[in-house]
Amino acid sequence: MIFRLGEQTPPPAKRITDTVIERLEHQYEVDPGLMQITPQQDMPVWDSRRIFNARWDHLDWMHAHFADEVLLAGEESETMPEEHS
Amino acid sequence: MSPVAFKSAVDDHVLAELRAIIGDDARVRPDQSSRAFRSRVPAPFPVHRWADHFPDVVILPRTAQEVSEVVKLANRHRIPIVPRAGGTGLSDGAVPLRGGIMIDCKLMNQIHEIDLVDRTVTVGPGINMLKLNEELRKYGVIYPDDPASYPCSLVGGRIGTGGWSLLGSRYGHTRDLVISMEVVLPTGEIVEIAEGGGRKLRKSSTGLTLKQLFTGHQGTLGITTQATLELVPRPEVEFAAFFAFDDYMKAYETTGILTRSGLATLAGVVLFDEWKIAYLRRDDEAYIPQPDSVKAVVAVAMYGRKCEVEPASKEVMRLGRSAGGKYLGDEISAGDWASRHDRYATPLHGRDLDGQAVLMSWHCEDAALNYSVLPQVREEWHAIVARYREQYGIFDDWGMFAYTSGPYKPWADYLVEIDVGIWEQKLNDENWAAWVSCKREIAEVSLKYGGSITACHGATREGDAELVPDEMGSAWPVVKAIKRALDPNNIMNPGKQSLDEAYE
Repeated sequence: MIFRLGEQTPPPAKRITDTVIERLEHQYEVDPGLMQITPQQDMPVWDSRRIFNARWDHLDWMHAHFADEVLLAGEESETMPEEHS
Repeated sequence: MSPVAFKSAVDDHVLAELRAIIGDDARVRPDQSSRAFRSRVPAPFPVHRWADHFPDVVILPRTAQEVSEVVKLANRHRIPIVPRAGGTGLSDGAVPLRGGIMIDCKLMNQIHEIDLVDRTVTVGPGINMLKLNEELRKYGVIYPDDPASYPCSLVGGRIGTGGWSLLGSRYGHTRDLVISMEVVLPTGEIVEIAEGGGRKLRKSSTGLTLKQLFTGHQGTLGITTQATLELVPRPEVEFAAFFAFDDYMKAYETTGILTRSGLATLAGVVLFDEWKIAYLRRDDEAYIPQPDSVKAVVAVAMYGRKCEVEPASKEVMRLGRSAGGKYLGDEISAGDWASRHDRYATPLHGRDLDGQAVLMSWHCEDAALNYSVLPQVREEWHAIVARYREQYGIFDDWGMFAYTSGPYKPWADYLVEIDVGIWEQKLNDENWAAWVSCKREIAEVSLKYGGSITACHGATREGDAELVPDEMGSAWPVVKAIKRALDPNNIMNPGKQSLDEAYE
C-alpha cells in the first residue's frame, strides 16, 4: 500500500552538517543517504510535528515533576551561531 | 563439592506445588511468552542464544508469605530462584543463567504507609519511583531516587542492584535512601533488616549493620518484599547549567572546581568527553548546530529551596567559566537536564564502519573511579573500543561521561561510563565472545587504576563476573562465607558474581 502524503509532504531538505539535514524548522534528521540499511519511513508533516512537540511536552512534564520552578541563568548561549539561538 | 544450584527441575509436580502456594493460576506462568519477555534486560543480550536465558516459570506473588513459600519449595527441589523487578538493569542481575523460578515482584506495588511525622514512606518492591512521587507530591515531599530509568525502574530492583541516582550527591543513592526492609532470605525466612531494631531509624549501633549487605547484592542474598524509604522536602527550584570547552582538560579542571565548591544544593556534575560530543553531534538537536570548537561539556544541576539555590546558581555560573567554559544557554541547559531523567526513551542507533545508521542496543560499561585517574582511563577505554570496532564492525563508541558519585560528597568519586553501541542483529558466538572480551579489558583498566569495575550496574555478566574475586581481594573469603551461610543450596540467582566459588 502506498501512503499518500499529499499536502503533508515535507519541504525539500536543507543540509545542516555532513550527516544531518533539516526539512522542518528546528527538526534535524539523519541524512537519508546514511539510512540505507534501516530506511526511514515517509512521515507526514503533522506527524513529525506531533513527535517534535511531544518531546517538549515530555521535558516540561519532567521539570514540573521534580521541582515547583525551573530557575534559569537568563543568559544567551555563548557558543551557538546567532541564527540558531 | 560442586555448586549445588543446577539447571532447573521445574516439572508438572513442581508447577502443581507452585499453583497450590499462589492459589491463582494467572500468577503462575509457565507459558513461553511470559518467560521470554522476562529473560533479558536493556543491556546487550546474546539474542542468538535467547532461549538459554528463559526462566522455567514466572511467579507473580502479592505477599511476602507467598515469596517465602516459593523460596522454601525451591530449596526442597534445588531449583534456582531469580528475582526480577522492572528488568531495566544494565547488567545481568535479573537475567536467568540457569533457568528456574523467576519471582516477578510487579504486583507488590502498594504504598503501605506515608509517615509525614517521621518522614518515611513504606512500599512494596514493585512500585515505580515516578508513580510513587506522583502520590507524594500532594504532601510536599519526594523520594529522590532518580536513575536514568526513572519512569520505568522499580524500587525492588533499585535495592537489589544498589542503584545510583542522578541526584545522589545531594540526596544520596538508593542504599542511602532505604531506611529498613522486609527481606525473604534464600532459605525462606522473613526477616526485618534495619539499623538495629528500629524500622524508621537512620542510625543505630546495635548488633551488626546489615542494611548495606542487603542492598546491591544483585538478588543473590534474598528478595526484598517491603521497604521503608526516606522522604525529603520537594524542591522549590531546580537549576541546571551546561558549559562548553574547547579542550577536555579544561572541562576536567572545571569539574573539579565545581565539585569542590562546597555548595550544599549541588545535586550532580557531569563531564562529557570529546567522543560523547562527537556522538551527540550526529543525532542530538542540542549539539548538532554547535561549532567545532565545542569539544567537551560540563553539566551542573542543583535542587532545593529558592533562597539557597538562587545565590548558589550565580556562583556556579562564575565557576563554570573560570577555566574557559562557555555557557550553552538556558534552553539547552534546562532541556538537556530534564532529558537525563529518562534516557531509556532514546531511540538507539549507531554507525557501522561505513557511517551507515544501524539499529544498536546500548551498553554502558560503568566503573567507580577517583577524579585523579579520569583522563588516563578515558584514553585507554576508547583505545580498547576502537580496536574491537575496527576488527568486528558491530560496535560503536558513543563516548564517555563522568558523573559525581559520592553521596553528599561530590568531590572525589565518579561514576564513569563508556557507552558502546552493539549491532545485536549481527551477534553470533564469535561476536558475543568478542564483546565479553572487550568488557573484560575495560574492567581490567578500572582495576589497574584502583577503581571498582562497577559503580551501579553490577558485576553479574561474564566479562565482569570473573573479576569480582580479584577486586574483592582479601575480603573475597568473607563474601563467600556470607553467601554460603545465607544460601546453603546456592539457589538465589546462581551463577552471578562468581559466587559459585563459595561452594567449591
